[in-house]
Amino acid sequence: MMRAASFEDATLRVHAYVDGELDPANALGVEASLAGDPALAAEHERIEAFRRLVRERLPREAPPLGLRTRVEAAVGMRHPRVQPSWRALAASIAVTAILTSGATSMVVAPSQVNATREGIVDAHIRSLMASQPIDVASSDRHTVKPWFNGRIPQAPRVVDLGKNDFPLVGGRIDVVGATPVPTLVYGHGKHLISLTAVPAASQANSVPSLSEAGGYNIFRWTEDGVAYWAISDASTTELDKFAELFRTTPPNQ
Amino acid sequence: MSIANLQDQNKLIRAGNRSGGRLQILSTETKKPDDRMADGENDHQRFARLVLPHLDDAYSLARWITANRADAEDVVQDASLRAFRAIANVAEGNSRAWVLTIVRNTAYTWLRKNRPSALVVVDDLEAVESAQVAAADLDRETPETALIAKADAASLEAAIAELPPTYRETLILRDVQGLGYREISQVTGVPIGTVMSRLARGRTRIMKTIARKSS
Repeated sequence: MMRAASFEDATLRVHAYVDGELDPANALGVEASLAGDPALAAEHERIEAFRRLVRERLPREAPPLGLRTRVEAAVGMRHPRVQPSWRALAASIAVTAILTSGATSMVVAPSQVNATREGIVDAHIRSLMASQPIDVASSDRHTVKPWFNGRIPQAPRVVDLGKNDFPLVGGRIDVVGATPVPTLVYGHGKHLISLTAVPAASQANSVPSLSEAGGYNIFRWTEDGVAYWAISDASTTELDKFAELFRTTPPNQ
Repeated sequence: MSIANLQDQNKLIRAGNRSGGRLQILSTETKKPDDRMADGENDHQRFARLVLPHLDDAYSLARWITANRADAEDVVQDASLRAFRAIANVAEGNSRAWVLTIVRNTAYTWLRKNRPSALVVVDDLEAVESAQVAAADLDRETPETALIAKADAASLEAAIAELPPTYRETLILRDVQGLGYREISQVTGVPIGTVMSRLARGRTRIMKTIARKSS
């Protein structure tokens, strides 16, 4: 048995030698053993033959064509044309539900809300890619609100959250569906938050609910016939705080 | 020297060999969020740089572990999500070993959840391993080199697929994906000595299988 155990150990060294894993001293040791032990030398040949066989004949299978697209969509790098598999979707919903437990409730949105969400995400991404995420740059709500007044039927509610670490950066007009809607842009650290106000006259007031799309966190709530959409890559906690501040801060302050 | 002593085979391995310097990514060292911002790189860009280049390897490993193409795709997608969630905190370094580690763990979790029949093999592996060693590897009959050399792709593939999962993953990581022993040890979470013995036994097992089938 002693002989068997030490032969097996010597064999391991031969494998490591073939793999280029030995330091020079041990490599020399193996070479000396190979020269003096025909059984070990035969093992060496077999291992080399095996390595060659795998290298030359084992078919390499490229991943299916759609895999990269699917992965990119799953992490929000591109907008999925097809929904990701329900399993991945369920996983992200589970995470979302944990994050929002207590504070907000998960709402399964009807398709119209989903369409709006897509529009909001698209607009936010487009704005981040543009040289300026805003059409009017001002931290002064008295500048931003009148700017909207001349361009769309209803100017949004603009509140100043600068003292709460969410300074107003400016505003822009997004087109969601076929409707031009006002978007306010707030900063928070290095993050930008787009807050879009979509007319929703028929909808009852609702508290913020969290969803996630394209890798961004989104809070949606309804107040006085307007659906507010806050989207950002800021954390859910920060975005939740922002939504809460926006809802509770009166505009005239 | 007995098999147990092989855990010390670390000493054999070239100090600071080619993989030694690239393993920080697997350590607990994390990047400060400020560094990330200073780079001007967002999570998606980071993901594109550190994860996407390894999708082929990820898929290949997942397919060998799950033995199923559709499962492998699901595993890679799931693993990518996990990698993405951790992307901000992972240090620069050996991103391939990091990605493969996630893929491997995701694949086993996936098997455990969706194909519990495979679970027995995975969970009892150490016991199964030693039992199998006794049965199969004490057979000292050695295959002829010529028989190994002329084996065809299909029988090679079949012989790899027949291996116990730990032998198989070790062999794939080394002989197909070209990882060093130290990296394999990191990915599979076992000491280098165990990597060495699994690799040697896996190779030997395959050589015997193809020699037996072609003779």
